[in-house]
Amino acid sequence: MMRVYHAVAAAFLGLSLLSPGASAQEGPGRKAEAELISDRASVAPGETIHVALHMTMQPGWHIYWKNAGDAGLPPQLILNDDTGLPDGALGEFMWPLPKLLPVVEGEIMDYGYDDEAVFVMPLKVPEDASGELRLEGVADYLICESVCIPETADVSLVLGVGAPVENQVSGELIGRWIARVPGPFAGEARISDAAAPWTLSLAPEDAFAEGTRVRFFPNGHEISHPAEQPQRAGPGGVSVSLTPDRAGKVGETLEGIIRVEAPGAEPVGYEIRAVRGDVLPGTSDAAVIETAAASAAPVDMRALLGLAGLAFLGGVILNLMPCVLPVLSMKAVGMVSAAATGHAGEIKSHGVWYTAGVMVSFLALAAVILAVRQATGFATLGFQMQHAPTVAVLALIMFGVGLWLMGFFELGTSITNTGSGLASRGGALGAFFTGVLAAVVGAPCVGPFLGAALGAVMSQPAAAVVIVFAAMGFGMALPFLILSFLPGLHKLLPKPGKWMDTLKQAFAFPMFLTAAWLLSVLAGLAGAAAVGWTLAGATALAFAVWVSRGGGNVRKGLALAALAAGFLLPAVQANVPAGAAATVPTLPAYAEGAWSPEAVSAELAAGRPVFVDFTASWCASCQVNKLTTLSTKKVKAAFAQADVAFLVADFTQKDPVIAEELKRRGRAGVPMYLWYPAGSSEPEVLPELLSQELVIGLVEGS
Amino acid sequence: MQITRRHLSLAAGMAAAVALTAGALIASTAEAAPATGLAAPDFSGVTSAGETISLSDFAGKTVVLEWTNDGCPFVQKHYTSPPSNMQTLQKSAAADDVVWISVISSAPGKQGFADGARADALTAERGAAPAHVVLDPDGTIGKLYGAKTTPHMFVISADGALAYDGAIDSKATAKVSDIATATNYVTAALADIEAGRPVATPVSKPYGCSVKYK
Repeated sequence: MMRVYHAVAAAFLGLSLLSPGASAQEGPGRKAEAELISDRASVAPGETIHVALHMTMQPGWHIYWKNAGDAGLPPQLILNDDTGLPDGALGEFMWPLPKLLPVVEGEIMDYGYDDEAVFVMPLKVPEDASGELRLEGVADYLICESVCIPETADVSLVLGVGAPVENQVSGELIGRWIARVPGPFAGEARISDAAAPWTLSLAPEDAFAEGTRVRFFPNGHEISHPAEQPQRAGPGGVSVSLTPDRAGKVGETLEGIIRVEAPGAEPVGYEIRAVRGDVLPGTSDAAVIETAAASAAPVDMRALLGLAGLAFLGGVILNLMPCVLPVLSMKAVGMVSAAATGHAGEIKSHGVWYTAGVMVSFLALAAVILAVRQATGFATLGFQMQHAPTVAVLALIMFGVGLWLMGFFELGTSITNTGSGLASRGGALGAFFTGVLAAVVGAPCVGPFLGAALGAVMSQPAAAVVIVFAAMGFGMALPFLILSFLPGLHKLLPKPGKWMDTLKQAFAFPMFLTAAWLLSVLAGLAGAAAVGWTLAGATALAFAVWVSRGGGNVRKGLALAALAAGFLLPAVQANVPAGAAATVPTLPAYAEGAWSPEAVSAELAAGRPVFVDFTASWCASCQVNKLTTLSTKKVKAAFAQADVAFLVADFTQKDPVIAEELKRRGRAGVPMYLWYPAGSSEPEVLPELLSQELVIGLVEGS
Repeated sequence: MQITRRHLSLAAGMAAAVALTAGALIASTAEAAPATGLAAPDFSGVTSAGETISLSDFAGKTVVLEWTNDGCPFVQKHYTSPPSNMQTLQKSAAADDVVWISVISSAPGKQGFADGARADALTAERGAAPAHVVLDPDGTIGKLYGAKTTPHMFVISADGALAYDGAIDSKATAKVSDIATATNYVTAALADIEAGRPVATPVSKPYGCSVKYK
């Protein structure tokens, strides 16, 4: 290996000796080759030419930009004192557009170059120059791979003075690298430091192409280098969020360069001098979907398949969620009676229709999530449970379903001849909408596996989101589909009888309870008035059912009006502006305090272990964990024994800080449990289904 | 009556907005390392001698934390003998009853990783004199403090506040010859603390190799 390397080095040495007047140096063990080149073979006195330090790095090794970032040093050219050029004859490096060099993900970020870099300098040939111009000195640079080596290389360049003659090879190379030097930004740049993160807004004279990504490289250390720079775009331009450094302050201006990457185009750099002031209008209307700080990673098919598999499993488990079971059981009742009345053939088509209902809902949810992500930059599962009108309407639907289960009214057919109803198109539609209902109600109960899969896919391209959601929907519909397709299985279903009616009525109570729970969620979102309106809406539904019993068009019209009013008014009333209902979320009795990143740091600094419960009142799995684990005597005692700080992050209402934390941990929704052992800085993310043994084991093991 | 209720809820909404903004502010700085002037975060770690020490063990004394990696040229610059810059600092700290803790955050397999025996051998062969060498192979302490480079220096005053965070001196090079002409920020901070003055340069930009976290 070394021998080959020496041979290559020798070849290089031979080549460089052939190029006139320049000498390069590359000793054994060197990680880079440095040479001085010029766009002229000979120069005329008084003209301005370009010389350049041409550096070629070995694969994997990099050198630094003028601002190296968190670690590293920029390269320098130090000319010998006896060069004889007047002061200022040789200009500064024209720094080409740098790349991001992530050293430690999220911790240490450097800026620089790999493979090759050319640092061009203007050189004013003295008026009195004659004979030859001799530049001699050293290139002094720090070069790093995983380790860093400071190297110096002797470089020299000799140019004849007389008639100007171009050096075409070097001239072409220099020309190419001058083109990579960031030029002045045509347009306006502002930095708003009124709130953290700061906003750098850019309004170019010629609009950026659709899907353009911008990265800001500061000249100084005002910002945190490794932090991601989420961005928003609008008709007027782009705005970039910058996370300030610890001691970061903006003076009158913030200076640096931006690296602008339009889809399918070479990256271009511009020099930015952002003046302090308000965000420029029209630059922050919609989020540009953000990938990690390192350039967009292509979707890894294998990882995607794994995620889809997990999502599928999660979908299967959704069937066991308390908020989905009643809907499913409702279907089971229909199947039993269908099998009994000789309509077994219908069951297959119902299974398919139900599956279609679930899948369509999940794909619609994916579409909504993508749209929300497009508009806000992040989306979290269960957000439909943070939209008060949606919650109000869901509560009313639950109430209506409860009335139906009670036998208060029938949908087209009576329960006794459900069989003939199944044969009609209404039956198929019924199956379809059962699927829709199951999906809508089930989605917020994030089961195990689901959170991780969704969190991972949330920042992926749209296609990946759709695939994962489709897999989840299919997983949810599958048990029922199998049941409807394997005749042997539904033979196992019990014989029909009066018990079916009783069972159906019994299922009304979980529905009413679900409605009650949704009302309590609504109270937190939109206040007591919205709950009152929803109850009035429920009354209107009951009235609509009652008035339509007699038949006749007048009654039907009245019923329809009551039905519409019953759904619309609560939805309108619940649509209060965010925050207007601001009830201070009451902490559950077992919690010690509200979660905030600061609270965690403070408790850790005090030397205590910290347990954080990310929960929401609309999250069923959270409630289950609370009942079975977190609020039990044993766990409480273990927490007290180890002096654990128990913090709760309540996600019942939209909270960007909590949403950001969920995203950071790769989760798309609650529940999420974080465990920080005493003296740690990074938490352990616990599974979504807790057990007392698990939690107590963690606490006692710390 | 209703109007006042509406006003109330508007006020509450504004309060919530303010709280959220504050929360966002806190969140954005949560990942940042501690700021000078505030309490230095407590940590505990295992030393090269195998004992567990905590920052709180040294309450009432000035503490210096030095992030180090013996393979890094910038660290070598300050350990090279002569002038034995780092060793001299360590010895004068010990003489002034200042606790000097060297921290090795290099992960296993990365440059500068050391177990207890290797860390002690390094101390012996370089004639170094830290009070303790803390082994932090998983980078917990390094990330807690936001240590970016080797060397990256922190000075913690006797009352537990972070008094200095940054480079060892003002010349960001790997050249030994620059030590003589540079301003040593650690010496300056220790002198300010000793004299009861506020530290003139509490923060600087650390230079060196990146910490070789896992």
